Amino acid sequence: MNRVAAATGLVLVALGLGIFAWKVFGYGLPVVPGDPEGLWRVELAITVRGGGARGSVRAPLPSSGSGQEVYDERSVGDRLSFSIRPEGKNRIAVWRGEIGGIHDIAYGYRVRLTPLQQGLSEEVLTPAPREVVQRFGRPSAAFPSDAPEITEVLDSLGLPPADDVPGRLRSIYAWIAHEILTLEGGSDDALITLANRGGSERGKVALMVSLLRAIGVPARPVLGLELGAGAPDETVWAEAWAGGWVPLSPTGAFFASHPGNLLVLRTGSLSGVESTGAQALSYRYHALREHLGADELATLMVPPSPVFAALSLYRLPVATQGALRALLLFPLGALVLALLRNLVGLQTFGTFMPVLVAFALRQVDLGVGLALVAGVLGLGVFGRLVLDRLRLLLVPRLSILLCLVVLGVTGFALIGSSFERRDFLAGVLFPIVILTMLCERFSIAIAEEGMRNALARMGYSLLVVAAVYPIMRDPRAEHLMFSFPELTLVVMGLLVWIGGYTGYRLMDLVRFRSFASPAEGAA
Amino acid sequence: MNPLRVWRALRRQGVLGINGRNADYTLRWNPRRCYPNVDDKLRTKELCRQAGIPTPQLLAVARHHFELRKLGPELARLFDFVLKPAHGAMGNGILVVRGREGERFLAAGGRSVALGDLLYHAAGIISGLYAIGGQPDAAMVEERLVVHPELAAIATDGVPDVRVVVYRGVPAMAMTRLPTSRSGGRANIHQGAVAAGIDLVSGRTTHAIQQSRPIATHPDSGEPLLGREIPGFKDLLSIAVRAADVTGLGYVGADLVVDARRGPVLLEMNARPGLMVQLANRGGLLPRLRAVDRSWQPDLGVDERLALGVRIAGALVDLRDAA
Repeated sequence: MNRVAAATGLVLVALGLGIFAWKVFGYGLPVVPGDPEGLWRVELAITVRGGGARGSVRAPLPSSGSGQEVYDERSVGDRLSFSIRPEGKNRIAVWRGEIGGIHDIAYGYRVRLTPLQQGLSEEVLTPAPREVVQRFGRPSAAFPSDAPEITEVLDSLGLPPADDVPGRLRSIYAWIAHEILTLEGGSDDALITLANRGGSERGKVALMVSLLRAIGVPARPVLGLELGAGAPDETVWAEAWAGGWVPLSPTGAFFASHPGNLLVLRTGSLSGVESTGAQALSYRYHALREHLGADELATLMVPPSPVFAALSLYRLPVATQGALRALLLFPLGALVLALLRNLVGLQTFGTFMPVLVAFALRQVDLGVGLALVAGVLGLGVFGRLVLDRLRLLLVPRLSILLCLVVLGVTGFALIGSSFERRDFLAGVLFPIVILTMLCERFSIAIAEEGMRNALARMGYSLLVVAAVYPIMRDPRAEHLMFSFPELTLVVMGLLVWIGGYTGYRLMDLVRFRSFASPAEGAA
Repeated sequence: MNPLRVWRALRRQGVLGINGRNADYTLRWNPRRCYPNVDDKLRTKELCRQAGIPTPQLLAVARHHFELRKLGPELARLFDFVLKPAHGAMGNGILVVRGREGERFLAAGGRSVALGDLLYHAAGIISGLYAIGGQPDAAMVEERLVVHPELAAIATDGVPDVRVVVYRGVPAMAMTRLPTSRSGGRANIHQGAVAAGIDLVSGRTTHAIQQSRPIATHPDSGEPLLGREIPGFKDLLSIAVRAADVTGLGYVGADLVVDARRGPVLLEMNARPGLMVQLANRGGLLPRLRAVDRSWQPDLGVDERLALGVRIAGALVDLRDAA
């Protein structure tokens, strides 16, 4: 290696490690992600359009309380005045003012969720407090617990005796979950849901609340968010009073406890984001799992140094953060690729193909992913064999191959959905299609270099994929590269060193191994 | 296999590895702007024509798809020829037609093909199917060379060629690649062709390998492979050196064929010559390349550089045999 390259690498590595060390030892930023469970950054983005009339936009905000802790809230009002209106234990965000043109409203917060495991006491329960009975025990328009249909169905259910409240809750829960269908686009109304033996989740919740109130148990609906990978969905469930509020899922997902990814937005009402005086309103939620403990997060959010504070990627909008988290893993992937290609000497199809494939597969199991790649390749190679007879020109032929691959992938998706794994392919489909070009290269390699060499090269490519894959989905690597982007400089320095290495590759040793044996057969 | 022992053996014998070749030789001595001179075989041919270096006769060229219509009748008139891409690499996309059978053509390996098949192949070439970067390419038709009987005797079913590695205008190492039935008649070492190292002093083969293993007789015919003289070897080296001069590349592999009538003819040049030549010669390139660096002077004529290459090779071989 020449000196300039060695020195350049050293400068880059030292610079990157220096900044890294400064942040770690100087400011105590955590190197490994803190407790990754239950920490979320949620953002609500509302777009509202109006013709200049006065109006308001209202959105339910989560409150700190049983099982959830909300902090670090921020609001962007875009020319509207902002206030928070308490409503029982709920909080409603209100943006008020003249709604003219388009306003982009955003509300962001962090939340720590703990799974609710309260269980249900079998003993005689204390009667509900008066205000609870008053607010949540009586029939209303949305919850017609006094309707004759409700009484009729309760009679037919054959509920346990009145003093067995847990048994009664369980019976009603089970009946709603199993006997009433959940229909997309079904009715939100309790009585229609009952008559149809099916309705939307909201309809089932309304029916559940009505039935509970009819047997004298105070009950209320709950609006919440189901946090997970991708955009969170609004979801609803019911709560019944049995010495405390007990959650009941309308679809049979949970009873007397709920999973750690449910965030309560509002209780007693299912109204979500609403507006008055506006012509159009749209909104969406973003959620991202946080990888830091709350305290460290605060340190990171307000680092003592203004320079590092300004450079912290945690200041970016959540969606951008998500993209950057993925992007910053690529240098690591490229580093492994360079190691395997230039030091080990593995030959691969396409320079960055293995990194891209590994990235494409990060959301699925490696086995499933490689099976997908193999399926696409098999289809492509077979398709090319057939197409060869038609004597088509290159670009149209490749395009036909692409169509074939798209059709094949569509087939995979159908098979996937029948296994109730709707989402497992979502992130994979698009990059897989890009592999069409690989089919062509693989076919040519088979024809030109022979099946053995082509398979060897494909094997090496997949080996590199398998080596890069764990990095691409390691939350620690993701945390490290995202929290300390200066490590990319270290990667660059290492790459300079690899690039300057002029010694033997491991595969050179294999290829030239006969030089080490005595000169047999040489003249 | 003990990697450390192999490592030390390679270091001792001065074997050049891929990283070393790329960093210290191709990157350093082959200016990027000169690459088209060898990557485009039509351009190599033209440069050689101007310098009076013999190459196979060019019979037809099709640079665009519409020219294929013209190519059809031209091919129909020919008896034997080679159809190949101007930007091909590693012998990919080369189709040899060695005779006719009425309307149909006899391809190497005994396959009979129709004119339509040939034009389809040419269309693939023009689309860039075999080109290094997949860029639009040209299909060229060349005369089929007739291999010198000396070499034909130790090759099966194809055209053996001679590869000369030329460093800074000085011939450094040479080998001949002999097709076998296993390589399907192609002079491709990776597919099982035999590679035999050539002593630059005597022009005779000294060592031979197939798939990295030493071999003394041809696997198909049983003909002895060692001590065979390459006909016209002095001319062959001189052509390789002159061709390296016109391409402007400092580390280059020249591929030649010894034609029965014309003698050595330059087939193509390679700016990233492989390293198998070391296995074929059972010797590392580095001692020779370093010796060239030590003795190199500007303004050395072709003959002086030829003599220098032969002298270095001879001295090093003597050294090795003495050791």
